[in-house]
Amino acid sequence: MKIRTKIMLGFLILAIMLAVAGAFSIYQLKTIGSSVQSLLDDNYRSINAAKKMTESLEREDSGMLLLLSGKWKEGRRTIRGADENFRQALETAENNLTIDGEKAYVERIRKLYGKYSAFWDRPIAGTADEGNLDWYFGEVQPSFKAVKGAVQELMSVNDKAMYKTASGLKNQAHRAIMPLLVAILSALVFTLLFNFFVNLYIVNPILSITRSIEGFLTHEKPIAVKLDSDDELADLAGSVSNLAAMVKMDRHGSDQ
Amino acid sequence: MRAQIIIRYIGFVFLFNALFLFISAAASAVNGDSALLPLSYSAVVAALIGIFPAIFVPPAENIENDEGLVIVVAGWLMSSLIGTLPYIMWGDPFTFTNAWFESVSGFTTTGSSILSDIEALPAGLLLWRSTTQWIGGIGIIVFMLAVVPSTGQTAMVLYKNEISSLAVENFRYRTRKTLQILLVVYLGLTVLESLCLVVAGMGVFDAVTHSFATVATGGFSPKNSSVAHFASPVIEGIIMVFMILSGIHFALIFLGITDRSGKIWRSSVVRYYLAAMAVGVLLVGYNIWGRVFEGFWEAMRFAAFQVISLGTSTGFATADSSIWPGFSILILIFFTLQCACAGSTSGGIKVDRIILFWKSMICQFLKMKHPKAVVALKIDNTVIEPRVVEAGLLYITLYICVVFISSLVLTFLGVDIMSAFSGSAAAMGNVGPGFSTVGSFSNFAAIPAAGKWVLTIVMLLGRLEIFGLTMFLFYRMIR
Repeated sequence: MKIRTKIMLGFLILAIMLAVAGAFSIYQLKTIGSSVQSLLDDNYRSINAAKKMTESLEREDSGMLLLLSGKWKEGRRTIRGADENFRQALETAENNLTIDGEKAYVERIRKLYGKYSAFWDRPIAGTADEGNLDWYFGEVQPSFKAVKGAVQELMSVNDKAMYKTASGLKNQAHRAIMPLLVAILSALVFTLLFNFFVNLYIVNPILSITRSIEGFLTHEKPIAVKLDSDDELADLAGSVSNLAAMVKMDRHGSDQ
Repeated sequence: MRAQIIIRYIGFVFLFNALFLFISAAASAVNGDSALLPLSYSAVVAALIGIFPAIFVPPAENIENDEGLVIVVAGWLMSSLIGTLPYIMWGDPFTFTNAWFESVSGFTTTGSSILSDIEALPAGLLLWRSTTQWIGGIGIIVFMLAVVPSTGQTAMVLYKNEISSLAVENFRYRTRKTLQILLVVYLGLTVLESLCLVVAGMGVFDAVTHSFATVATGGFSPKNSSVAHFASPVIEGIIMVFMILSGIHFALIFLGITDRSGKIWRSSVVRYYLAAMAVGVLLVGYNIWGRVFEGFWEAMRFAAFQVISLGTSTGFATADSSIWPGFSILILIFFTLQCACAGSTSGGIKVDRIILFWKSMICQFLKMKHPKAVVALKIDNTVIEPRVVEAGLLYITLYICVVFISSLVLTFLGVDIMSAFSGSAAAMGNVGPGFSTVGSFSNFAAIPAAGKWVLTIVMLLGRLEIFGLTMFLFYRMIR
């Protein structure tokens, strides 16, 4: 193999190493980007919806207490607004099923909410239920707590998934950095090797040829440079040797 | 010493590892797991660094013995280094120390692990983990020589520097045929065991990875509870048979198949190896019967697996032997030190040297009784040269010294005495599990970082049979 090819291949290897490291890192960084997006899209949206549902439930509970105390107008208004918000949030959660088993959690919320809303669908103010705290603590509040618990479960599932994705992001960031780090270290080793080979197979033969020529010029020592390789330097050593032989012959000819 | 020739061969070691990294990366791609990038990038780096010396350095006709020694030791160190790349690139729980420990443990076929949850690793990385054992089992350089074109003399110089000195003595052939025999038996056992395990109901991936670990006498299982995961006496039986076979001199197995002269059964080394194992199984089985396991056959089943596993330096587990009675633990420690025959993939002091030890002791008694008698030490009617006996006894002494020093360092670092001693003995014998906190169902994660480095040095000392690594480290002084 010729020196030109060897050097070209050496640099090509270095270039490939850096290019591949760069490509892998870019790919990983892009993956991190899409993971962040999915973290926001998939989990954060559901968590937000669950928070809204919890807030709405709290307001509905306040509305219930207003109805119990006979303030049916304020009570109805509070409940109606909260119910609208709850259903919107529930719909958001239903359209954002991204985790295995999430559908079951949402269906449970809908089912329990149906039971809970039945308590305030019928009239309370001006009926036997008005001021009936036993009825409230015995039936309404357990139902309210059950819905709230189901919403908390949905939030917890998404929280865990978000934590898992975030942990995955840490690993992905690590995987984006590592190819570059490995490439830097490999390039250093590679440079040392390249330097060693250039010295051994290019610089040393050139010095050896130079010394031989100097020896020939000063003391007429025969030029005999032995090279292992089959490249331009071996050709050069052969040509110099031939040249020296011709010069020697010419000198002997002119002496005679 | 010609550095360029050494670098050329180390380059081939890199290329050889790159080949297996690409295979693991392909498995990862098929499985669609997260190890694809770490494996493929490691493969590219190994291939590029490996191919570079081949461009510059012309092939050498012959290599000197000291060059061969450096190639072998550096080859092992570089393989271990390349082996860390996929782990550290994959991330948690692999710090550099942990990745180095797992890699050295793999290549030296030790089988000790820092992983608490092995099954959390993607399939591609698990395959690479098992492959490191398979590459190291027969010897990285020996395996590489089968792929890389080299002259017979070069191959033999490298081979002699890598293989156990006793195995080299025992081989009938002094040519490249030795390498062929090793490879044929190695590949044959691997394929045969994989098939048997698949027939017994194991999945292809598990069958292949377990075969890699069995034939290499490594012990890395892709399951958290090792072979106990399958809870199948048939699978345990198959693995036991192949562990025993992998602990026998490969040339004897080759002769047993091709020659059919029954030479394998006439070998006193094999007879002692099997008899010792049988006695060990009976003693341990009887000891744990009624104490750990109620049923006699149940006790024998678990005793047989643990004795064979440690006695062949494999390290698989079907039971937590750390909680067994002290008598059984001591018997198992004896097998952890002794291990199997030279010329196999097994580590440890080796049965051959234990026989040398007993016989030289008998010779010594005879000489004391008859001071003027000429007493020759014979094995299978062959007189063993005094230099071989001397080297064997020196090896046993050094072996015990290394285990003691390593235990001393580990206890200094705060490791309890049982974990330190059994862990050191298991690392030196390339066995894998020890007892106490580093038992068969535990791992080495809790060992301090400095302790892990000590153990990896011990693993390499054990794999290269002390002298190789020592000569490499103190080359100038020895020269």
